[in-house]
Amino acid sequence: MRFTKRGSIALSLVFGLCLPSALLAQEAGGDDVAALKLAEPDFTLVGLPTSLRVPTFRGSFRVTHRFRRPLNDGDFGDLAADLFGIDSGAQIGLEFRFGIVPNGQVGIHRVSNRTIEFFGQYSLWRQGGAMPVDVSALATIEGTNNFKDSYSPALGAIVSRTVNDVVALYVEPIWVNNTNALPKQLVDHNDTFIVGVGARVRVRPTVYLVGEYAPRASGDHPGVSHIAFAIEKRAGGHMFQLNFSDGFGTTLAEIARGGPQGHDWFMGFNITRKFF
Amino acid sequence: MIRRVVWTPIVLAGALAAGGCDEKLKSVAGPTPNLEPTFASIQREIFESTDSAGRTACTQCHTSTGRNPSGGLNLNHDVAYDQIVNVPVRGKPGAIRVIPGDPDNSYLVQKLEGSSAIVGRRMPSNGPPYLTDGQILILRRWIAIGAPRN
Repeated sequence: MRFTKRGSIALSLVFGLCLPSALLAQEAGGDDVAALKLAEPDFTLVGLPTSLRVPTFRGSFRVTHRFRRPLNDGDFGDLAADLFGIDSGAQIGLEFRFGIVPNGQVGIHRVSNRTIEFFGQYSLWRQGGAMPVDVSALATIEGTNNFKDSYSPALGAIVSRTVNDVVALYVEPIWVNNTNALPKQLVDHNDTFIVGVGARVRVRPTVYLVGEYAPRASGDHPGVSHIAFAIEKRAGGHMFQLNFSDGFGTTLAEIARGGPQGHDWFMGFNITRKFF
Repeated sequence: MIRRVVWTPIVLAGALAAGGCDEKLKSVAGPTPNLEPTFASIQREIFESTDSAGRTACTQCHTSTGRNPSGGLNLNHDVAYDQIVNVPVRGKPGAIRVIPGDPDNSYLVQKLEGSSAIVGRRMPSNGPPYLTDGQILILRRWIAIGAPRN
């Protein structure tokens, strides 16, 4: 693989973020990682990750479902006849993440199109005191055909800020390599730099509104940029989310590739279960 | 301990990112595994050679060796580039064989793809087999990057 200038810059940024934090990162210490964070109750917004940590040696399971029928295909009667897309096939993802060290988690996400994504996330700085934001480093690699073909690694940072117990805001610069399915000799760009932005707002004690947008700042950008919004309900260790998005990507490379051209919208849901 | 815990995933991620994840051109080139988006490669692998799928070499008909080149197009080694790039098509007024940067409107591509806009038959005229989608994709890429004489 040839490192592009943009790729090198992205790597440098991530490494630059990480190096000083190696000295600054603290063990969980006094804060209770297992305690419910009211403004940040889940590990993802819709598809983009959050800063939420997994307690060491604890895990969390997630199911993602994206129905393939575009909601804007046909009139309302057609849509109702298909039960708003539920009758159609879906792209389904199964995910498990596990806390391996204080502030660090790893996980696997397998999608029914046979893409498997491995990911790792490490919380570098915590919001509090003089630190206005949370910062986490993120690294993933996914491969199609059950991780046998077409590998796409990604490196990025998750910068978040919670406001009281009501709002969580996110900015996530992420570089994804090999987003174009063709060999690099045949394409202008083979990587994509996205700057994901998102928010989660607690509108009722256990009900949240969620939105996220992942515009492609540079690199390959087919289709339309990923955008999604959702409503969700927290119930004990579960989070039930009904979402609407312009694509059905749930891995970072899929999100970087965006949705299909034509501004189709798809319905889906996420269910998360924390085992802590 | 903490430093090692932090460094390990970072180094691992860097290694994975640098590890070479790109698709191989061979996987697209199909029956001409050495085909690349350069003129020299296209000349060698497409114009002058048959391939393992049984496609006929273009120079079987488009040659001045011992005959008049079919359609007035001579794809012999020394003249092929000057015969196609920015050269009008003899049988279709207004059409250009290869328009640098514009594969869609390059008549060579249209003839090889069997577009409805062509005059006469899809090439090769004794096909199938024709060029594969991957072979045409590589040819298109050479035109898209300006059809250089490389």
